[in-house]
Amino acid sequence: MSTSETRDPRKEFGAAVFAAAQKNPAVVALSADSGGSSGLGEFQKTWPGRYFEFGIMEQGVVGVASGLATTGRIPVFCAIAPFVTSRPYEMVRNDCGYMRQNVKIVGRNGGITYSDLGSTHHSLEDFAIMSMIPGMVVLCPQDPNEIRNAVAAMIEHTGPVYMRIGNEPLPVFTQDKPFVIGKGSLLREGKDISIISTGTLTWPALEAARELAAKGLSAEVIGMPTVCPLDEDLITASARKTGRIITIEEHYIPGGLGSAVAAVCAQNQPVPIKMLGLPKAYAGSGPYKDIMSYYGLDAAGIAKAVEGFCGK
Amino acid sequence: MGKPSIKELEYTAALCRRKVLRMIEAGHAGHMGGAMSCIDIVAALYFYVMRIDPRNPKMPGRDRFILSAGHKCMAQYAVLCQRGFFDEAVLDSYGSLNSKIPGHPDMYKLPGVEANTGALGHGLSIGLGMALGLRMDGEGARTFVVMGDGELAEGSNWEAAAAAAQFKADNLVVFVDCNGLQISGKTVDIMNMNPVERFAAFGWAVKEIDGNSMSQITAAVDAVPFAPGKPSLIAAHTLKARGICFAEGIAKYHYWKPSAEELNKAIAELDKKIEEVQP
Repeated sequence: MSTSETRDPRKEFGAAVFAAAQKNPAVVALSADSGGSSGLGEFQKTWPGRYFEFGIMEQGVVGVASGLATTGRIPVFCAIAPFVTSRPYEMVRNDCGYMRQNVKIVGRNGGITYSDLGSTHHSLEDFAIMSMIPGMVVLCPQDPNEIRNAVAAMIEHTGPVYMRIGNEPLPVFTQDKPFVIGKGSLLREGKDISIISTGTLTWPALEAARELAAKGLSAEVIGMPTVCPLDEDLITASARKTGRIITIEEHYIPGGLGSAVAAVCAQNQPVPIKMLGLPKAYAGSGPYKDIMSYYGLDAAGIAKAVEGFCGK
Repeated sequence: MGKPSIKELEYTAALCRRKVLRMIEAGHAGHMGGAMSCIDIVAALYFYVMRIDPRNPKMPGRDRFILSAGHKCMAQYAVLCQRGFFDEAVLDSYGSLNSKIPGHPDMYKLPGVEANTGALGHGLSIGLGMALGLRMDGEGARTFVVMGDGELAEGSNWEAAAAAAQFKADNLVVFVDCNGLQISGKTVDIMNMNPVERFAAFGWAVKEIDGNSMSQITAAVDAVPFAPGKPSLIAAHTLKARGICFAEGIAKYHYWKPSAEELNKAIAELDKKIEEVQP
């Protein structure tokens, strides 16, 4: 596990799409005045004929992406997360989902990473709404290695995929290995409680687990970079082992990873569950780290919540 | 298959109109008005214009058709059936459980359907994407979209309209089925979108025709693209429920749940028409 470096998720994403496009000429990039900010500048320079700039029209872009996919292209459309999920939702649902098209939608600056820009720019319901589309894969990779490998897997997968990435530099802590859609990973073994986390919060969850270990509390940490379909076997096995689960995500508490984990446990292995995330309210604006701390979504907040839940 | 004559196309359209009634008879109701207004256009596209093969519906390099106003699907079903994409018996499943011809087209149920439409304001964007992809393929394939005039109030259409002009998609040809009526009344009174002026303002090459006239439809599509580097828009003035005289031009026949008497009257009229126009 290396933590010595952090990397920009958008640059990792852009480089990974570039690498995929080098291998596969079917990959095309679509921009709604968003390509440069999404790390796709090199793509545009290298393959101008495979790069489509639409200006600010996300509904139109999603429909066009579907049409392009019917001709065998693999469109990758990346823009600010709420503008590729909430805004064109019906186009994603019908044109990509119902039409089962091989379109890759990437929401960058997901969660509240555009913290200072306010709730219009936050996406705290994207897991919920995208997971409700039959056949849609929802990914939320947790570190730079995983972003790169998840992009490769997303391109190789046939069918619609939504991937959420953030903006804050991310530490490197997962192994550089092929990404398997639908599989979580056991990042730290423990016996008292299972922490199940996704995206940006998995690193603070690991930090919290280390703090708790020093206090004699053994927390298992499961990273869940595929929010849909969920790795039910891993969740059920861990629930059976520790008997207690806490979920952590940069998403509204209702409808996100926690709700999905609870549904799995309710049917397979009922255990007490606590869900950390953001309340269903319009989060205030301010520095990202301050908002996350305010909602207890940092290592200290997670450690405190776990201790409380375990009655210590 | 050589190009059919105008008379042959008129006969084909009459047979297709009769098939719409067969579906309504099976399902007891359906979006009849718009199906009948656009059916001449759809028939002309499948029988006169498009490069397609009913025996190989996924033929590479084929032209594409999207019925953006998906509720007019009985027109597409009738024409696909008439063109040999599927067996006539399927028409009798309209309105039944898990029919291959549901109330809006489903590309995974019926060969020849290229897009799942139904929610309005989607077909033009999908059609543009197809046109751009087909242009990359370099085989000269084109995309044809039929939209409704009421549908034009959906803002998403205008995103696609702007993009089609920006990308100079002259292999994209759009018919607006201007039957002038929507559920609540006259389109000009409800939301007057004026497609001729507005598509022209968006950078399209535009023509107006009588969309129930085979000679005008075929002349228009023979002339596309109307301007090199521009997508083509054909504002096709039509009559809602065309072919059923007691229903023509009346908004309430948008969705029709006929009595046995009404249905028999309509069938008699269309059967007579078929005899009259048989070449």
